[in-house]
Amino acid sequence: MTAVKTTETAAPAGGTTPPALPPALTGGARKRRRRGGAFDRALPYLLLAPALIAILWLIGFPVVSVFVTSFRRLNLGELVRGEIVWTGIDNYVTVLQDERFWTVTLRTVVFTVSVVGVSVGAGLLIALLMRVLTPWVRILLQITMLCAWAMPILASATVYIWMFDQNYGILNKTLVRLGFDQFAGHSWFGSGTSTLTVVGLLIVWQAIPFLAFSLYAGLVGVPRDLYEAAGIDGASGWQTFRAVTWPEIKSLLMMVTFLSTLWDFKVFAQIWVFKEGGPSGESTTLAVLQYLEGIAKSHFGVAAAISVLMMLILGLITFQYLRRLLQTEEGKI
Amino acid sequence: MLKKSAANVAGVLLALFFLFPTYWMITSALKPKGSTITSDYDLVPLSVTFTNFVTAWTKPGFMSALGNSLMVTLTAVLAAIIVGITAAVAMSRFSFRGRKSFVLLMLVAQMAPFEALLIPMFLMMRDLQLYEHLSSLVLVYFAVTLPFCAWTLRGFVNGIPVELEEAAMVDGCGRWGAFQKVTLPLLGPGLVATSVFAFITAWNEFLFAKVLIRSQDRETLPVWLSGFQTAFGTDWGGAMAASVLFTVPALVFFLIVQRKMVAGVTAGAVKG
Repeated sequence: MTAVKTTETAAPAGGTTPPALPPALTGGARKRRRRGGAFDRALPYLLLAPALIAILWLIGFPVVSVFVTSFRRLNLGELVRGEIVWTGIDNYVTVLQDERFWTVTLRTVVFTVSVVGVSVGAGLLIALLMRVLTPWVRILLQITMLCAWAMPILASATVYIWMFDQNYGILNKTLVRLGFDQFAGHSWFGSGTSTLTVVGLLIVWQAIPFLAFSLYAGLVGVPRDLYEAAGIDGASGWQTFRAVTWPEIKSLLMMVTFLSTLWDFKVFAQIWVFKEGGPSGESTTLAVLQYLEGIAKSHFGVAAAISVLMMLILGLITFQYLRRLLQTEEGKI
Repeated sequence: MLKKSAANVAGVLLALFFLFPTYWMITSALKPKGSTITSDYDLVPLSVTFTNFVTAWTKPGFMSALGNSLMVTLTAVLAAIIVGITAAVAMSRFSFRGRKSFVLLMLVAQMAPFEALLIPMFLMMRDLQLYEHLSSLVLVYFAVTLPFCAWTLRGFVNGIPVELEEAAMVDGCGRWGAFQKVTLPLLGPGLVATSVFAFITAWNEFLFAKVLIRSQDRETLPVWLSGFQTAFGTDWGGAMAASVLFTVPALVFFLIVQRKMVAGVTAGAVKG
């Protein structure tokens, strides 16, 4: 029974702070269980086997397969007949020579950079703001942000389409009320840029809560006496931010920027639901292009080449992210 | 003082910005038919009705989509959690050759760009004769959430002092007994947080649900809702009521773990 009692006191500590573990612990685990028979030595591998098999089968194999497929001609005909036609780098030549691919890539990059920039910037500002708010305003803001964060993507996208509706949307009605009569019946989804701006607003709106909460958690961790010292030295608000806050949250800011870039680069659902990449393909990004080529047109080989190019870009970002993550968490692995 | 009240005003305005779409979704859903599609300016609903919810609920496909979503999501999450725990215990409690590379593999697998694996996944499910079967979605969501679950649970297991298990083993428990009686109960909060995260990821997923399932009676909720214009026409009240019903499970789960969300995401790096 004593063991149970100890567990009760340890539970909240173990539950609330998962990433913080004493490095000694893993060291301790390492020394354990050197004795024991073949079963004991096999046990960790047996425990890992299901996860390892699943990852190799459901992630590793598709990764290899996408590369292989990108060197094949695989349209609906070949797929149905089960033919294997190797075409070398033909798919890449097709994709890279297509002017549309470059337009779409450029659009995706601009879209990602703008969305990430705005959401990280706004997230940081809101995190800074949260520190100076009266408690009830801060809690109000946190609750409303949670609501935005928790809404399923398809639900929030549907609400945004309704708010931006051409005839009965609340936005156009409000703008007309405020005296901007040219917005009566204005279509927000008439051009690619306008559509992507609304999609971007939706993504920013849902991304800010995570960013603001993480950055706020980082800001709260900055020791108070640093600010007091800065105050004694007569530093201005901006100087304090530069000298005290910035160095403390720089690495956290980097991490959330990388994560946001990864997420926003491959956005599909929101863009598709708004206008299916339209009007006339003007809001198509790489994720949508891959879908259109591969699934809608059944050009699997060409689509795989697009996927590989996407993966290269994402891989580059991921590599940078992991390098930083491992630097900060070195002791943990 | 002036600065503080200016900040508070900004805070309240931001709260309105974040709340408005949710507010608009709920009020549009509560407005009676005829007062949604109108040129009247109506920020506050003048009368309230629940008929939109009945409409959404009884729309063809809603019930089956809800059932499919729940079935697929819960099965995938349950599988990911079970396989995740075993992997987490192995990574955290044992020392063995290749441990480090396995931990690294989990970390990398978490970052796998699933959207870019759409084509091979589609071809693979077709080869396995799983195309058009909900089990294909279960497999995909299991794969998407597994690395995250294993990685996060490893953090939680690490947080439980190994001495507790050793004490139980000294007291006569076997290794399984020690795990079952000591580690598992302590893992409770971590299990809840992790599974909610996995749940939301799978609950939100749209691309694979759209590609791997074509027939209507096997659709999941996100795909069903994306076709709301065919189902509802311009019945925005009904569409909003359906959105509310879609949001409720996610919101409930979200509130359960909201305090652990931030730590979880930064540690795990998976978003819905």
